[in-house]
Amino acid sequence: MDVVFRPFKIGGKTKAALIYIDGLANIEEIDASVLIPLMKENNAKENENTDQLIPVYHILEQKLTVSKVEKVQTITACIEHISDGNPVLLIDQQSEGFALGLSNWEKRSIEEPTGESVIRGPREGFTESLGTNLSLLRRKIRSPQLKMKSMKIGEYTQTEVVISYIEGIVDQALIREVESRLNRIKVDGILETSYIEEFIEDNPYSPFPQVLDTERPDIVVASLLEGRVAILQDGTPFALIVPVSFYSLLQSSEDYYQRFLISTVIRWLRYIFLLISLLLPSLYVAILTFHQEMIPTTLLISIAASREMIPFPALVEALLMEVVFEALREAGLRLPKQAGAAVSIVGALVIGQAAVQAGLASSPLIMVVALTGIASFTIPRYTTGIALRMLRFPMILLAGTLGLLGIMLGLLMILTHMATLRSFGVPYLSPMAPMQVREMKDVLIRAPWWKLNTRPRLTRTDNIQRQGSDQKPDPDYGNDKTSKGKGGS
Amino acid sequence: MSIVQKAAKILFVSVHLILLSGCWDRTEVNDLALIVGLGIDQKKDGKIMLTAELIVPQAVGGGGQMMGGGGGSGVSGQTVVRSGTGTTVADAISNLQEKLSRRVFWGHTKVVVFGEKAAKAGIRQHLDFLSRNPQIRLRSNVLVSKGTAKSVLELLPPIEQSSAEVLRELSESQLLLRVTIKEAMQMLSSDADVAALPMVKILPPEKGKKDLQTIAFIQRTAIFKKDKMIGDIDDKLTRGVLWLRNEIKRANVTVTLKGEKGNITATLIRAHTEFIPKYEKGKWKMIVKVTAEDDIILNGTKLDLLNPKYTKMIEKELENETNKRIRAALKTVQKEMKADIFDFADIFHRKYPREWNQVKNRWEQIFPTVEVIVETKAYVRRPGVNTAPQGLPEQEVKQ
Repeated sequence: MDVVFRPFKIGGKTKAALIYIDGLANIEEIDASVLIPLMKENNAKENENTDQLIPVYHILEQKLTVSKVEKVQTITACIEHISDGNPVLLIDQQSEGFALGLSNWEKRSIEEPTGESVIRGPREGFTESLGTNLSLLRRKIRSPQLKMKSMKIGEYTQTEVVISYIEGIVDQALIREVESRLNRIKVDGILETSYIEEFIEDNPYSPFPQVLDTERPDIVVASLLEGRVAILQDGTPFALIVPVSFYSLLQSSEDYYQRFLISTVIRWLRYIFLLISLLLPSLYVAILTFHQEMIPTTLLISIAASREMIPFPALVEALLMEVVFEALREAGLRLPKQAGAAVSIVGALVIGQAAVQAGLASSPLIMVVALTGIASFTIPRYTTGIALRMLRFPMILLAGTLGLLGIMLGLLMILTHMATLRSFGVPYLSPMAPMQVREMKDVLIRAPWWKLNTRPRLTRTDNIQRQGSDQKPDPDYGNDKTSKGKGGS
Repeated sequence: MSIVQKAAKILFVSVHLILLSGCWDRTEVNDLALIVGLGIDQKKDGKIMLTAELIVPQAVGGGGQMMGGGGGSGVSGQTVVRSGTGTTVADAISNLQEKLSRRVFWGHTKVVVFGEKAAKAGIRQHLDFLSRNPQIRLRSNVLVSKGTAKSVLELLPPIEQSSAEVLRELSESQLLLRVTIKEAMQMLSSDADVAALPMVKILPPEKGKKDLQTIAFIQRTAIFKKDKMIGDIDDKLTRGVLWLRNEIKRANVTVTLKGEKGNITATLIRAHTEFIPKYEKGKWKMIVKVTAEDDIILNGTKLDLLNPKYTKMIEKELENETNKRIRAALKTVQKEMKADIFDFADIFHRKYPREWNQVKNRWEQIFPTVEVIVETKAYVRRPGVNTAPQGLPEQEVKQ
């Protein structure tokens, strides 16, 4: 039994009870701020009007040394507070109880998020505690314009969910849309924001994520400043961000922390490797089975030489090795840490050497598989990378049946599908399709901060100016151009 | 019908649509005979003998070890030569396919070699086949061999992987003529109706080496009228022809100056040939303006080349030398062979279409009478990294 009923008498006379759940409430605080002051009461004023009931306001104003006190009138409200961890104080013959803000439960400390590590940038990550997470956001945005709207989702879990946004930047229609989509959710319980994600997505059948999930407060804050909305949930370190486009899913927070030239190059590297992770195995299959004339003679001869003893057609060979790679990746994630090393050794030996020596796969294919694997991990969002990785299997099949024609067919299908996707009304491929040339500053390149003067145009919002213009650092600003340097906003 | 059912149905249909079209033309690399060189010969009975040089991938890569070489004729570590015969090239290919366990694949054919006999009998129908086949690339090089094409392809070159690769590299070096299938067909269908193809000759093997361990190299140029070979010219004349075709890329010219001992060699950096056609009073005239820019790469004289007086002299000599070479080529090709491989016909046609149309049927008679004026201009751009002649005491250098 974890629910504790603690009956006692205030001043030795008035009956009262304290109800709380063991482990959720701070017992030391209860003793020090509630029980001691209330029970000691009787010593001081024993002789005065002893028969009279102590008025409630008197207790509240003079006796309870607790800062956060809320009056509760219904049993439902009582239960809610108790399950939140707040002890409830009930007093005999009073129609109101007091919910005391003395909840305190075990929580993980703030750690660096392992899934999204950076070289340069803040190293704190969200925890499972909603209060901690909200405080992390407040610490970064000190403006009162940062708003939090709370709601409960889950009939049994009663999980607290918070919609966070910055008033004045965000489009109010977007807030209403997010709220209405969240209000539609009627489930037993939610354990992770991915539950919410699946309920509020625009296209639930797409392999592509239409919501960004992150453990990093700095990403959430940057998104809020761009006019997006964050959805946080108690019990998980992952926050959701809507709306997003495909290109924002390909960005890493470090793009903005590094020098802009380097970020631009890295972005392009990512775009190229995105295509590689999707297409390389299928190109290998298509060229080896249909278009042998398309590669240099010497390359073809050396591939042919290494394939001479392989019993399978290129299609089967490629599928086999790609499946093995995916299995290795999955096993590496799920296995306990101690067994992980064993898996990587076995994987390296099996995939890298034994398969070639046993004549099951050719060494060029091993290279293709390895390169594909590496390529898919250059995409910073795991969910986006895995979508592309899974799409390469149908692509391999298409390449094996229709050759390059099949690859084109598959690419067109994927592109068409992506063009139809929307994330909370924002076209998925924007700003590329529909084309917005001004927004290319944060897609094709990463423009320096002193050029990123406007926010990305996601939805209809008036406040698009992010910062003053003309902030390019220049030694002349110290002298005659001072006014130019300061002005602009 | 729910959206899931609908999607499932569409998926079902589309998967089967893909599988229906199927892999009908799917071929594994291991089932292909990769042909790198193609030889066309004519036998005594008039039949065509087709020779294919193909790569044996097993012998090439893998562990890097070579399979034991040399069994029957044409078997090396890495390439195999097989022949088929038939009345046409197409017939010969089906005959060749009978003798191959793998399907012939022409996508990587780099050179097509015509035997001398086949070249003399006419190459048009062969070129027609080559251009009609979707696998063969029009960028493949066309050559004529002295002797049979088979004897060229079955050589085992000591450096390159296959004799076809040797011929491709030599063609692409563009020291002498280089002609692709496309260019050969263009030449034959041009107004002049003649063609020039590079001609290869087998290099005699070094002492102690087996007969086949050598290469064939481009040494001459075969001249075709209509589509039949009528003769050939040597490498020196070929260079003269290259000047006249505006195709010269690399050339060394060695000259001696009057009153000076020793040679001076210049190498070509850039060359350009301009053609100015003239038609005056029923007479055809062609002014050929040749501009050459050279570097000095060897100075055997005592002259200091920084002195512009000497460079002027060298330029003069270079002009004379080039002029001499071009004239020699003109004499053989224009006057003796009467083959318009410089494509003057096209140039006249463009400038004087009406006049040309009147003579186009007897162009063969008119071409040798065309007056060709060769104007050469040479510039010495750089004297190399040294200015003064090296290895000479300073006082002996002529400033």
